Amino acid sequence: MSSRRSRSRQSGVSRITDDQITDLVSKLQQLIPELRGRRSDKVSASKVLQETCNYIRSLHREVDDLSDRLSELLASTDTDSDQAAIIRSLLM
Amino acid sequence: MASLIPNLEHSPDMSPEFKRKKRRKTDETPGPFDRNQGSQRIKRWRTEREQQIYSSKLIEALRRSRRTSSSTPAKEVRETADRVLAVSAKGTMRWSRAILASRLGVGAKTMRKHKKAKVTANRSLRKPEIKGEKRKLPAVERKLKVLGRLVPGGRKLSFSNLLEETSDYIAALEMQVRAMTAITELLAGAGTQPPTDRLGSRINS
Repeated sequence: MSSRRSRSRQSGVSRITDDQITDLVSKLQQLIPELRGRRSDKVSASKVLQETCNYIRSLHREVDDLSDRLSELLASTDTDSDQAAIIRSLLM
Repeated sequence: MASLIPNLEHSPDMSPEFKRKKRRKTDETPGPFDRNQGSQRIKRWRTEREQQIYSSKLIEALRRSRRTSSSTPAKEVRETADRVLAVSAKGTMRWSRAILASRLGVGAKTMRKHKKAKVTANRSLRKPEIKGEKRKLPAVERKLKVLGRLVPGGRKLSFSNLLEETSDYIAALEMQVRAMTAITELLAGAGTQPPTDRLGSRINS
């Protein structure tokens, strides 16, 4: 433990121990639907990061698709007041 | 630019003891207090209330921006959705500030110029060193880089800060998807179904 500490003090770049990395990675793992159920010691950090990137990319794609559909719907609806009334009543 | 807000609980004490233990803000490891804050923030993204606030803000912003659309409608919607999402984060997270900062054209352009200069300088220095063998970063570091590019404002962050940002960003994105899906369904269904049905089910849920 003490050797780790002295090493990190010298490098000055990362003072993060392996334990902390494992801990943070397992925290992240709980957020990824793909990996949520699995035991954290069976999933490597590399896999968790890979799945995180994939998940964020798929979320971005979904938002893009939704933006497409939403822009079409907004363009095709006739009156502003109709939309506004419907949405307001449904959200409140 | 280090984020100041997550480190509020640490006093700016500059005694020699503290200086020795002084952690750089970008390398700050989250303490127990931070973790509570973080998980509370993430829980907030998952509440119905937060989603409703976001939905109504988004719709307002979309109606306003329809009059002045400079780019394609879909891109406009995407940018508006991201901007409102960043505003909903109330400046607590770096990714939200990065999204809002990128709207200001001048700042973003100068930032990009500086970044480009740095990258080319590194490349020209590395080439003569490598002889036949490609120097590859370990897999984890490479993926960390990719993640840093995906999360707004994530390029300069330390490992632990990047993971914290990622956690919050993912929760926010999920809410964004839920909200936009709901709005799309409302608008798509509004033309064909009578709104009273949905109104009833809405109240009961």
